Formats: sequence, structure tokens, C-alpha cells
Amino acid sequence: MPQTTIYSSPRSVGAPEQLPPAVATHELARLFGGHPALAGVSLTVTAGHCVLLVGPNGAGKTTLLRILATAIRPSFGTAAVDGLDVAAHPDLVRSRVAYLSHATGLYDDLTARENLVFAATMLGLEPASSGGRVGEVLDEVGLAEDDVLRVRGFSAGMRRRLALGRVLLARPSLVLLDEPFAALDPAGIQLMEGLLDRWRHSGVTALVAAHATEHIAAHADATVQLQGGAVVRVTGDGVVAWPPAREPAAPRAVEVAP
Amino acid sequence: MTTLRRNATVAWAIARKDALAEVRGKQAAVSTLTFAALVLLLFGFALGSDPRRLADAAPGLLWLGLVFAGLLAVGRFHEVETEDGALEQLTLYPVDRRSIYAGKAAIGALAMLLLGALLVPLVAILYAVDVVHALPVLALTVVLGAIGFAAVGTFYAGVTVRMRAREVMLPLLVLPIVAPLLLAAVKATTAALTGDPFGELPAWLTLLAGFDVVMLIAGAGTYGFLLEE
Repeated sequence: MPQTTIYSSPRSVGAPEQLPPAVATHELARLFGGHPALAGVSLTVTAGHCVLLVGPNGAGKTTLLRILATAIRPSFGTAAVDGLDVAAHPDLVRSRVAYLSHATGLYDDLTARENLVFAATMLGLEPASSGGRVGEVLDEVGLAEDDVLRVRGFSAGMRRRLALGRVLLARPSLVLLDEPFAALDPAGIQLMEGLLDRWRHSGVTALVAAHATEHIAAHADATVQLQGGAVVRVTGDGVVAWPPAREPAAPRAVEVAP
Repeated sequence: MTTLRRNATVAWAIARKDALAEVRGKQAAVSTLTFAALVLLLFGFALGSDPRRLADAAPGLLWLGLVFAGLLAVGRFHEVETEDGALEQLTLYPVDRRSIYAGKAAIGALAMLLLGALLVPLVAILYAVDVVHALPVLALTVVLGAIGFAAVGTFYAGVTVRMRAREVMLPLLVLPIVAPLLLAAVKATTAALTGDPFGELPAWLTLLAGFDVVMLIAGAGTYGFLLEE
């Protein structure tokens, strides 16, 4: 029987229409000491897309991620994750978001395993199952043999892997990554690329801020360029910004077995 | 998991994590104890060698030693959160902020109790005070004082954790607030050591307990706002 070929926008196959966007911001602004780090960003990101945020230093990439992670509040405007306003429902948003920031958020005097066990408890994993899950994650990020070592002795790359392990424990619907490839060795970069692909295929939305885009470009559905706290260009699929500043996505061939 | 159980689990995890970090950073624990012992020793030198005078001053000196050393301890339990973005990460977990306060206050109170367990015998030796006959009441006083101090100290450690001059600001903010606690604890300790001739011990212990309840409720209710950036 011949296969049927249909044409569709990427990642729209099977996506329920009624779901709220994974990320929606409206005139989002954040001031630091009177200076606007983010100056009226309005955009939506459709669930399940991997979006690359690019721009020079001070463009507002990290500020946008931190607002969505509920680390800081917006000065003006609104931001919502899965339809939940980040300022009105921060606790509900936190249970859906995992954030990998520049800093690792690890405790130096705890071992790698103790750091992840602590994170698992804070994330609400049942103690009975968290031990096994922590072991799996340590194995996944390549730190299974270093699990009893204190983090104080870890290299920057090992710390980054462990912080990534904390993201994996969370099972979020939105992953926010700030320079995720920083300090990673080739194996770590490969691990990160594999995770981006996995999240993309399992419907997890990812917003990735990066200067060096060579590792992530192939995994991103869309690219949002920020400058001076505003969106200046959007390319790809799954992101809509106001005022419109985007190039239409090229149709992608999807083969569906009859 | 019920909300209460979840909050207790989170508080326990935070207290355990801070205890592990404190035990492994041995220098900090040893320096706190050494500081407290030196405070007691130097106050003893300053007061002279009159045994009567030393015994009269013993309750006050015990609590000054506890408060000064306690300031170091509660400050450090927050300082551990300043490592490599740990505080921000702590605020991003989907947990009730009151459970973070409870965990921090619990480990602060435990540190004060341990300090008390070491300083009371030291006071007995240095100032020739008989504490054995008053041990149960003394223990109750130290427990109530430790909880109250930890309740206040944890709150203000949260206030100052993002400040550059937090080591200076923490005592400036905490000491005026714990003045009623210090007064009640010293009076209760004096009454316990002297056999409570005026029957004032229950009143001072009640004041301590009331201080604890008020400060714990106020601290738990407002601590979450301190973590917002």
C-alpha cells in the first residue's frame, strides 16, 4: 500500500487546538534600577517547540527566562506559562518549569547524590522512588561514578552536568536553559543535544538562550532575536511576536503511515 | 502526600542539608564554639575574681555567649545559600515558603541547643555555679530561648542574606528585637539557679513561650516575601 504524504507545520500534528500556549507574554517589561532590561515583549510560544533566544549581552534573554522561571517579577506587563500567570500563580508555575541558569545552585559541601536527593525532595518526589530516580539521572549525566564526591571538588563541566541532572529530575512542561553548552566537554554537548531532541519529541517546550548557536540551531524550531530588551526578529515556527517580526516557516514534509 | 507531611518533609530536608554542610565545614563550627567560650572567659576576666560577683553575673554572661554565638550560627545557615546561586534555586522549588523558614529555624534552634549544652557546663566551671540542682528548669529555659532566638535570627538572616554587609547588619537588626527574650531568659535562669525565692519563674517562662509563638508566626508568615527578588 502506498504511503500518504501530507504537508504540515512542524509539531502541529496531533496537537490539541484548545491548549494554551506554553509561554505567553504581553508588553512584558522589567526594570533594574530604572534601566529596562526587558522593554515590552509580547510573544507566544506554542507547546512542544524548541525556541532559541539570541542577542548580544544585555539584550534581555536571561531576564526573560528568569521572569518565566518566577525568579523575578515583571515590572510591567504579564507573562504566563501554560496559561498560568507567573505573578499570580508562581507556585503552580514552578511545578511546571525547570530552569538551568548561569549559576548551578549546588551546595559545595554536599555530594553529587546528596544534592540531587535534596532537589528530589524539594520537587516533591516520593522518598521511596526518588533514590532510584536519582541514580538513573546521575547515570544519564555521566556522574554515576562520582556520586559520593563532594561538589566542591567538581570541575565547571561536572557542576553543569549535575545541575542538568536536577532539571531532569523535575519532569517539567517548560525547560528554560541559559547558555546550556557553557563549560561542557564534547560528551556533555552531545548529552545536551540528545536531551533537546528528547524534549522536543516528547512535547516539552524549551527556551534556550545562547550566544554560540552552532550546537542548538539544528534542534530549534524557531529563533527569537532580542536587542535592547525588545524582540527584533523571529524566524521559524511556533512563535508569534507583536509587532509581527517574523519570517514564515517553510512547510515540512511529514510522512504518515496509512 | 498531604500538605502537612510535604511541608514537614521539606523542612526536614533543609535542616538536614544545612546540618551536613555545617558538620563538614568543621572550621565554622569550631570557630563558633571557640568564640562563645572566649566571650565567657573574657567577661570573667573583666568582672574580676570575686566568686560572688561572678556567680551573680553568670546567667547574663551565659545568655550573652549564647546570643553572640547564635548570631554566627543562624547567619551561616543562610550564608550557605549564597554559594553559586543556591538561594535562587531554593526559591524556584515548588514548595511552601513557610517550610523553608521552618527548616532554617529548626536547624538554628538545634545549633543554639547544642551551644547551650556546651556553655552551661562551661559557665558552671568558670564561674563556680552549681547548675546540677536546676538542670530541668535550666534546660527548659534554654529550649524556649533557643526557639525564640532562632525564630528571630532566621527571619533577619533572610532579610540580610542578599546584603553585602550582612555580617554587620544581622546583629544590628536581631539584637534589639531579642532584648525581651534576653531579659526573660536571664531572669528565668537566675530564678532557676537561686531556687526561685520570689516565685517569678513561671512568669518569665510564660513570657519566653509567648515570645516564641509570636515570633514563629510572624517569621513564618513573612519570610516568603524576603526570598522574592
